[in-house]
Amino acid sequence: MSSRRSFLTRAANGFGGLALMQMLAEAATKNGTHHPAKAKAVIFLFMDGGPSQMDTFDPKPRLRLDHGKKLPFKPPTTVFNISDQVFGSPFDFKQYGQSGATVSELFPHVATCVDDIAIIRSMVADHSEHTAANYFIHSGSGFQGRPSMGSWINYGLGSESDNLPGFIVLESGLIPPGGLDCFSSGFLPASYQGTVFRKGEHPIADLTPPASEAAAQQKKLALLGKLNKGAVARFGEVSEIDATIQNYELAFRMQSAVPELLDFSKESEATKELYGLNDKMTEEFGRECLLARRLVEKGVRFVELLTPARPGLDRWDQHSGLANGHRINAQSTDKPIAALLKDLKQRGMLDQTLVVWGGEFGRTPCAQLPDNGNMTNVGRDHNPFGFTMWMAGGGTKPGIVHGATDDFGYFAVENKVHVHDLHATMLHLLGMDHKRLTYRYSGRDMRLTDVAGNVVTELLA
Amino acid sequence: MSTNRRAALRFLILLSPALLGADAGTDFFEARIRPVLAERCYGCHSSKLREPKADLRLDGPAPTVITPGKPDESKLLKAISYTDFRLRMPPTGKLPDSVIADFTEWVKMGAPDPRTAVTVEARALPPGLDLDRGRRFWAFQPVVATPPPAVKNKLWSKTDSDRFLLAALEAKGLKPAPEADKRSWLRRVTFDLTGLPPTPAEMDAFLAAGNYEAVVDRLLASPHYGERWARHWLDLVRYAETNGHEYDNNKLDAWQYRDYVIRAFNEDLPFNRFVQEHLAGDLLEDQRTSKDGRFLESPIATNFYWFGEVLNSATDSVKSKADNVDNQVDVIAKSFLGLTVACARCHDHKFDPIPTRDYYGLAGIMHSTGMREVVIDSPAQARAIHRAHEAAPATTRNPGRAKIQLRPGETLWEDFTDLTTNAWHQSGEAFATGPRDGVIDSAGRGVNELVGSLTSKKFKMPNHYVHVRLNATKGNGSLVEREPIRLTLVADDYKSIHYMGSGKTPGKFEWISYRMTLPFERQCYFELVDRSRTGAIAVDAIVFSEEKDPPPTIEETPAEWAEPAPQPQLPASTFGMVAWDEAPGNTKLHIRGSHQNLGEEVPRHFLQVISKDGTHPAITGSGRLELANWMTGEAAPLLARVYVNRLWEHHFGDGLVRTADNFGVMGERATNRELLDTLSAKFIAGGWSTKALQREMVLSAAYRMSSKDDPVAAKADPRNDLLHHYPVRRLEAEPIRDAILSVSGSLDKTLYGPSIVPHISEYQNGRGKPKSGPLDGAGRRSIYIEVRRNFLTPLFLAFDYPLPISTIGVRNRSTVPSQALMLMNNEFVLQQAGRWADSLSGTPEPDRIPLMYRQAFGRPPQPAELQEANTFLKDGGTLAGLAHVLFNSPEFIYVQ
Repeated sequence: MSSRRSFLTRAANGFGGLALMQMLAEAATKNGTHHPAKAKAVIFLFMDGGPSQMDTFDPKPRLRLDHGKKLPFKPPTTVFNISDQVFGSPFDFKQYGQSGATVSELFPHVATCVDDIAIIRSMVADHSEHTAANYFIHSGSGFQGRPSMGSWINYGLGSESDNLPGFIVLESGLIPPGGLDCFSSGFLPASYQGTVFRKGEHPIADLTPPASEAAAQQKKLALLGKLNKGAVARFGEVSEIDATIQNYELAFRMQSAVPELLDFSKESEATKELYGLNDKMTEEFGRECLLARRLVEKGVRFVELLTPARPGLDRWDQHSGLANGHRINAQSTDKPIAALLKDLKQRGMLDQTLVVWGGEFGRTPCAQLPDNGNMTNVGRDHNPFGFTMWMAGGGTKPGIVHGATDDFGYFAVENKVHVHDLHATMLHLLGMDHKRLTYRYSGRDMRLTDVAGNVVTELLA
Repeated sequence: MSTNRRAALRFLILLSPALLGADAGTDFFEARIRPVLAERCYGCHSSKLREPKADLRLDGPAPTVITPGKPDESKLLKAISYTDFRLRMPPTGKLPDSVIADFTEWVKMGAPDPRTAVTVEARALPPGLDLDRGRRFWAFQPVVATPPPAVKNKLWSKTDSDRFLLAALEAKGLKPAPEADKRSWLRRVTFDLTGLPPTPAEMDAFLAAGNYEAVVDRLLASPHYGERWARHWLDLVRYAETNGHEYDNNKLDAWQYRDYVIRAFNEDLPFNRFVQEHLAGDLLEDQRTSKDGRFLESPIATNFYWFGEVLNSATDSVKSKADNVDNQVDVIAKSFLGLTVACARCHDHKFDPIPTRDYYGLAGIMHSTGMREVVIDSPAQARAIHRAHEAAPATTRNPGRAKIQLRPGETLWEDFTDLTTNAWHQSGEAFATGPRDGVIDSAGRGVNELVGSLTSKKFKMPNHYVHVRLNATKGNGSLVEREPIRLTLVADDYKSIHYMGSGKTPGKFEWISYRMTLPFERQCYFELVDRSRTGAIAVDAIVFSEEKDPPPTIEETPAEWAEPAPQPQLPASTFGMVAWDEAPGNTKLHIRGSHQNLGEEVPRHFLQVISKDGTHPAITGSGRLELANWMTGEAAPLLARVYVNRLWEHHFGDGLVRTADNFGVMGERATNRELLDTLSAKFIAGGWSTKALQREMVLSAAYRMSSKDDPVAAKADPRNDLLHHYPVRRLEAEPIRDAILSVSGSLDKTLYGPSIVPHISEYQNGRGKPKSGPLDGAGRRSIYIEVRRNFLTPLFLAFDYPLPISTIGVRNRSTVPSQALMLMNNEFVLQQAGRWADSLSGTPEPDRIPLMYRQAFGRPPQPAELQEANTFLKDGGTLAGLAHVLFNSPEFIYVQ
């Protein structure tokens, strides 16, 4: 009979619904990696809704020159498909740092970190609709039900934490279109499923009993323990029964680990100030960023941060009112993101922590016009054909700009990086070969990168 | 240049004047074209590659992308010019303009190319894909019944199956486990057949009488049997009641399908008929009528085609349709045949004898199949409705007259003078007499209770605005799919825009206008629906326009709109979502699965490896009827094997083939093929009766074995492939919840009907979030909790409830901490513990704990257990607390 520990590992790997069980997850790859890893953990700053590249990290002076004119080519079908009128960016750009990367006025704080960042201006995705695009950026497939990259990474590497899940999603009131399935483990065992932490005292459903029942819990567990002895005798040596009983111990450990994690009292005032916890505008995302650092410190492999809810705004999805909407979204995330990068760096963690920023797609260079054709207060439609993401730390080459879009910022034309390539590169930095990280499902060896993907060597330090 | 070549060229020149100047052409090719091809193209498009991208090889003449002399027709030039955003090559960056000019010049010259043609094997089948050899694979062989083998132990077997199992055990020197005690057996068989625990009374009766057959017959006759087994089936057809994607909109009438399946199991509908109804229930000549005679059963089954995810705003509608079809092919092939046919979408199946052509043969059938929202009344019911309203006093409704002044460029797409122009298909009685005075009115015959639908032909939406002049009862403004009275524009199979009464001008016609932002240039049709016994909709005109505002309209005589008098005696109708043959035709092969790279047209056909002579069948209509006949004819042996294996799996924990959805080369082989084949042959010969087969399975000696494992046998047969003991099995999510309800006394045993909205906790967020249903699901069994794709119930998910994405014949079986957290802390479980305790208030105190044990575990407590429980209560623990602890016992969620 195999050892109890190895049995428990198997049993815990055996799937389920909610997460919270990666602590025993076994690595799918031998010794965790295929080659030496640069990064041990990922923090994915998911900019839900699709920030506009030409208003953030990909300056396009041509748009201002042609503002209000028709595009000189027929644009592809977009979701709303209502305009081909060029919309010059309402934001000014400046060069920053040694690298001289050009960043818009929306990100004054992140701009001070450009020398640590690799900006990818030539991202390409496959879907123009939020939901499919969200599934795609997360799982490499536009359909519901495939494993999210956080699940793949935990499946590949196993978890380094013994009382926290390995894939945690931090939300502040907004779940992206496509819902919680963006963080699904799909056909992988559910032990790799993303666990969503809500803001507030009770981040996870059913982690603790309702207040009215809390006092009784110890007594109940004690009785359960006594009665379980009889169950073991009744069933005999059955591994599943054993594991079921053990689960109560693990669950209990988790109950105490989470409050400790959320307790920021030991963080310095300077740190809190750096993350913007004292400012209403930045407090929510600042909390997510600080929590992300604390989770990575505890050995959590993949932390995803979701865009905070802002009154009157629908994420980064500004089909109208882009000037105002993008400004507010940037204001609420810029300082915390810069704080995260600086804090990780100063603690010597940035080298081993891969930070990725971006949305499910970018936006069109044209205005999405209202029926009256008025160019004031307009926004932009979805654009997966060319957009910007950036990476920092974890073995990425710092201070570079990779790839380019055309003069209008519509299509990636130089050194295109497809989402599959991004995934392949992320796995590479984590020490895994995307072609060898497979799981047999439906008669096929499935991959995060499907049948595509190339590691973008230019992005590697 | 050698003289030999000159000679050859001269010869060519005689034949082909277009090649004049080929010398210079060749030089041009070698200097300007070949280096670019080699450097920028061969990486992906070379015959040296195992799978060149887009199946294109540029290391030889490529007539598919180069038309000599015609730059405009040469796809290669289009690709390198970057003019089409979908086709931009090389993908890593545009070639310099001078190079593009060279290529254009070269094509104009006639694309001279000294290279010899790359020979690509013209292959209907890939190397190694040999149908004749494929047919020899065990799964494609006929099923043959074998006489049961001789066994040494003559006393153990109760059925023929037992002798197959025993012979295999004896061959290994093993013995079957001893018989389980009666309590364990009854708990096992009751959960297995009904998904509910045995009641203390049922347990007492069985212990007293000991009649196994009587128990099995009682359980098979229970209406709860159908609920249990329908849920197993729903796993296969990715049953869901919403579309998922961004807004998670409802799928209308999905629950009718769920009830259809429950009834089919309860009535023991022969499985081959069940399959035929799934594939072509709308086309079968002998339509089956419901037991109460009110509606047609057969067409409801076809709803299963449409349980997949649906995009609400597909920007690439051709791809979106191809994806939906792929999901249909996948579900059909896996559910019925245990084959991963969908692997052949992009390339010939790598392991099984399934060429890409077979995939597109099936895909063509799905592409020829649409779905309609129709009345499915039986002929008798339709006659009764007809008679009832004919007898009723007629009220006239005068729609009045109006003159619509069309502006230039506007089209009066439908004026409702008749229903032929746009080929409206009608169902039910509401629209049965057609339009009157240029208006179609669901209460035109003066009866509000009549219901029905009208569905137009399909067309490509040509304009940006559609204005509809209608006079209708005000819409609810609730979830639009639940609006009972509406004119819906369905775009790309998605119910996209709903025209409803605004309520602003009651009794008068009004214009309702929508911009066709998403439907523009999509495949569309209109669907005029009145499902309500009150209220009505009348439509006068549908105008296609580029104008935002409706056309000017002069009302000549106003409508005289009397509300018809209620006629409550009118019998009710039934609606269903039903398949229909829609513009049947073949599909072109999608090279490498891409809808932008089409190959030859593929005749609609089935899997050649399961077709005797490999010829394509004669197809009329979509081909679904022929598919149904093939599935239950030529494919019957595999169909039966796959299904019999599923029944075995649900009774014995694992299938005889453990990869229940994959009987192909990559699947596992049967652990006891003779047994599987004999059972399958018997199943077919016995008229495909599910219940008869199950009766034999659960009355077997094998099913009666104890779950206690023997160390010697465990070593010899560690996977229990030989079934040397009965496995300990964890209950699935639904029986766990149903058992909690049953034990607490909260179970509402009502059968059938619309689903209960799931309870949504504050932790479940996202678009399309419904208003939460009751915490206890109104006490209904889990199968009646609505399956909302994006809001599946966490308690279910923790216990391995399947995501409705494709066929899932084997659920995951996990043991994870979230299960413990859920049972300890979840509000529902605590609520039920309280109710259970409350239900015992009338029971004398000393009897309470023993009764709870009998309810939860089917046995009385051991003295030690009784003592611990009593101590817990004496120390201040509550009865609800004790109930909660029992829910958390492994014995509650495991079956021995």
